[in-house]
Amino acid sequence: MSSLKRMETLVSNILMAGVLMSGALILFGLMLTAVTGDTSCPNGNMDLDWLIMGDPFFAPSHILFLGFLTLIATPVLRIAASIYVYMKLRDNVFMTITTVVLLVLVVSFTLGIG
Amino acid sequence: MYLPPYIIYAFLISLGSGVLGAMLGMGGGTIMVPLLIFLLKVPIHIASGASIIAVVATSSAAAVSYVKEEMTNMRLGMFLELATTIGAVSGAFLISVMSEAALRTIFGLSLLYAAGTMFLQSRKMERSWAQKPNDAIAERLQLGGNYFDSARNETITYGVSNTPVTFIISYVAGIVSGLLGIGGGGIKVPAMNAVAGIPMKVAVATSNFMIGVTAAASALVYIRNGYCDAFLTAPVVLGTLLGAFIGARLIKQVRGVDLKKIFVAVLLVLGLRMILSGVGI
Repeated sequence: MSSLKRMETLVSNILMAGVLMSGALILFGLMLTAVTGDTSCPNGNMDLDWLIMGDPFFAPSHILFLGFLTLIATPVLRIAASIYVYMKLRDNVFMTITTVVLLVLVVSFTLGIG
Repeated sequence: MYLPPYIIYAFLISLGSGVLGAMLGMGGGTIMVPLLIFLLKVPIHIASGASIIAVVATSSAAAVSYVKEEMTNMRLGMFLELATTIGAVSGAFLISVMSEAALRTIFGLSLLYAAGTMFLQSRKMERSWAQKPNDAIAERLQLGGNYFDSARNETITYGVSNTPVTFIISYVAGIVSGLLGIGGGGIKVPAMNAVAGIPMKVAVATSNFMIGVTAAASALVYIRNGYCDAFLTAPVVLGTLLGAFIGARLIKQVRGVDLKKIFVAVLLVLGLRMILSGVGI
């Protein structure tokens, strides 16, 4: 299989898995909302601990946020995978370009304005 | 079992926007955001936050089939993503210092712009496209490509020209995307087609490919800034995804041009209303 073909297969598999997984989490979160009637959600700036651990973990709003984060992680993972592929192809220019894009994504999440 | 009614309404609004968006080849966000604002009285920051996450979903879902059909120019996409993601983060940071009124006015203007380009499109069915060779940067980065055009039954090879200008336009498209919570394909696709000289089908697929990462960058800033209401965003994401799925199937049965004329009118009305509400009339 050519390297381009391999990259295309990898990319479409990542995207498909990410969309399905996040769709399932969001649907589950909405079902929890309907069952518990709990629509409470932390206001203001999101802190990282809550996004990951929740309080409690199975609070409907937390499950929904896990769904959104899975969705957002999908294209991020796609970038990470392409860095790996360009590295194996020894394509330094594109390895650098995709690494910078990944850095922008990481910075955009960690900074968050106060 | 009980779901608050606004969750159901948000689902229905985004389902409709998703169907229309997919049928017209644009993201659902463009009409969903104004409808959430006018019908559900949602603040624009929150409506855009819900929309940008839905944009990640629809572009990732659409990219699966575009990439498989080998329409996407991934090298060009990954190169221009550099510009769109930096733009998107700039735009998403900008939103936290902008007022509701200012954002409504800018959003309204972007709707009028979309109405204008759609009107021009409906007048000439096939955009004229002249094949151009790679420029120096594109040659160095090997950005040109080829694809199999099933309508013409031949493989079409193309180059990428005016790379610096295309890069700058992509940066602007990124800012608009981050600021308004929409995909920004309406800016990138014509630029890639007319400025860089890329065939329309490749431009659409490559723009969509970039939108996933671009929207992800802005979505992270929206979430961190607290502009993401879980109980609005959840039905919006599911509604838009389902809508886009239905729209992609319906499109084969409806005449495109008639639909575009109606939609131009809808965009004009929503755009004017957004601007008027923004300037306080």
